[in-house]
Amino acid sequence: MNVIQTRNLTKYYGKDRGIIDLNLEIESGEIFGFIGPNGAGKSTTIRTLLGLIFPTSGSGTIFGLDIVKQTKEIKKQVGYMPSDVNYYHKMDVHELLQYSADFYDKDYDSRIEELAETFALDLNRKILDLSSGNKKKVTILQSLIHRPKLLILDEPTTGLDPLMRAKFFDILRKENSRGTTIFFSSHTLSEVQKLCRRVGIIKEGRIIAVEDIESLRKKQLRIIQVEFSHPVGHDEIDCPGVIALEAEQNILNFMFSGEMDSLVKALAGKEIKDLIVEEPTLEEIFMHYYGEEPEEKRG
Amino acid sequence: MKINRNIYSHELKYNRTSFFIWCISISALILLGMAFYPVLMEGDMLKQMTAFFENPFMEGIMSAFGVSMDALTNVLGYYSARNAIFIMLLGGFFFILLAGKILAQEEHEKTADFLITKPITRSEIVWSKLAAFFTYLVLLNIVILITGLLSLEIFKGDNSYSLTSFLVHTLYAFLFMMTFGAIGLFLSLWIKRGRPITNISIGIIMGSYFIDVLSKITPSLDKIGYISPFKFVDSTVLRPDYGLEWWRVLYFVGISLVLFSLTFVIYKKKDILI
Repeated sequence: MNVIQTRNLTKYYGKDRGIIDLNLEIESGEIFGFIGPNGAGKSTTIRTLLGLIFPTSGSGTIFGLDIVKQTKEIKKQVGYMPSDVNYYHKMDVHELLQYSADFYDKDYDSRIEELAETFALDLNRKILDLSSGNKKKVTILQSLIHRPKLLILDEPTTGLDPLMRAKFFDILRKENSRGTTIFFSSHTLSEVQKLCRRVGIIKEGRIIAVEDIESLRKKQLRIIQVEFSHPVGHDEIDCPGVIALEAEQNILNFMFSGEMDSLVKALAGKEIKDLIVEEPTLEEIFMHYYGEEPEEKRG
Repeated sequence: MKINRNIYSHELKYNRTSFFIWCISISALILLGMAFYPVLMEGDMLKQMTAFFENPFMEGIMSAFGVSMDALTNVLGYYSARNAIFIMLLGGFFFILLAGKILAQEEHEKTADFLITKPITRSEIVWSKLAAFFTYLVLLNIVILITGLLSLEIFKGDNSYSLTSFLVHTLYAFLFMMTFGAIGLFLSLWIKRGRPITNISIGIIMGSYFIDVLSKITPSLDKIGYISPFKFVDSTVLRPDYGLEWWRVLYFVGISLVLFSLTFVIYKKKDILI
C-alpha cells in the first residue's frame, strides 16, 4: 500500500495557482525526494497533505486515510518539519517539546532527553533566545519525538551547519531503517540524492517527472570538453547527440547523449590537444532534462 | 464537543499574567470607587448638587451615563452608576481582546503550523480555546461578584440594598462580556495576519458605548441605540421589579451562540497560509 497517494490534487489560492492535478505515490519505507524551485508548489503540496489548507479539487490519502476527513488519525503517525520555524516565544525548549509530546498518547520523557543529547540542544533555553540553527534542531526533535511512521520534511536543512546536517541525515537513515517513510522536500537535488531512492520533480504546480535516482544517473549523458590545436566554430563537429554546444577559441564544450563510438569517429580525423569526458552531476542532468536550474540553496 | 486538555491548560497558562493584572485593576477600581460613597453621604455633598440635577438638560445627560440623584444616594444605585460602566468597558475590552487573540494568535505568530499538525481536529482546537475563554470569563466575573459584594458591605453604612438586584446586574455584565468575546473571536477570523486586533476592539467597544450614550441623550436616536450591546444591559437597579428580562438575555445569548457557531464552521474550513 502506498503511504501517500494523491489523485489529481489541485489547490488554487483564489486565482493563484498552487498545485494542479498532482498525482503522487509514495511507497512504504522509501525516502522520497520532492524537488522543485521556490514557488513550484512544494509547500502547497505538503500543507494540503497535512490539512493546513484544503484542496480545491482532487483527493489524497495518507496510510489509506483521507487527508481532509481523517486528518486527526493521520497525524498520530506523522512527524512534520516546517521550513519556517515559529514557536511560542514564552516557552523554553523543554516546555515546547513537552507540550508537543503531550498531544500523543505515550510518555516520551526519555526520548526527549535522548534526542536533545544527540543534537546537543540545551533544553532550558528560551525559544526566543535560540539561534535559527538551534530552532531548527527543536523542529527536528519535535517531529521525531513520537516515533512517526511518516516524516514530512519541508526544506529541513536550511540553517543547519554541515556537522548537524550529517547528524540529521544519520538520524533519518536510522529512522528509515526502522521502517519510517520519509517525504523530503528540497530545492536542491544534490542535497537529497544521497538519501533518496526516488525523486519527484515539481515545476509550476505540476509534477513533471518521477525518477529513480539510479536511472537518472545512468542516463548516458556526458560533459565533454575538446581542445583543438586551432580556433574552432560551432560547425567543427557533426555528430547526433551533441547538446548545448559552446565554442571558445580552441575549445568546444558540450553535453553528449549519443553513441560514444560515433563521437570518437567524428573526432578521429582532427588534431586534438586534449579531451575531457566527465559524468555530469545530478544537478546538470536535472537541468538538462527539465530545463530548470534549481535555485541556489539559501543560507 | 471535545476539549483537548493540553491546549486548554496551555491557554490558561499563557494568558494568566495579563488576566491577573486585569483582575487586580478592576477589583481595585471597584473598591476605590465605592470608598467615595461614605464620603459623599456624610458631607451632604449630594444634596448640595440637587439644583444641578434638577436642571432638565443636565438630568438628560446624567441619565445617559446612568446617574440620577436617587441612584446616587442608594448604595447599590451608586455602585451601578459608578462601577457598571467601567466594569463593562474594561471587562468587555479584556474579553474582546482575549477572544480575538486566542485563536488568531496561532496564525499571527505562525504557531498554527505546529498546532494543526498535531493529532487534533480543528473543532477540538476551537472547543479547547473556548473552554479557556469561558474559564477566564467565569473567573473574572466571580472576582467582580466578590469584590462588588465586599465593597457594598464595607461601605454601605446605614444604607441597604437588594442582593437579587446586585446579582442580576452582575449577570448582565457577564452576558455582556461574553457577547463581546464572541464578537472578538468572530472578527479575528477575518483580520489579516499582522494587523493588530487591538485598534478594532477599542473602536467597537467605544463605538457601541457612545452610540448607547447618544441614543439616551437624544430621544430621536432612541431606536439606533439597539445596535449597541450596552443598550441591553439594564442598569435601573433601584426599580422595585428589577430582574432578568428574557429578551435581554436572549439578545446576548443569541448573538454569542450565532457567532461562536459561525466560528466553528469557518475555522473548520479555513486555509492556514504561510
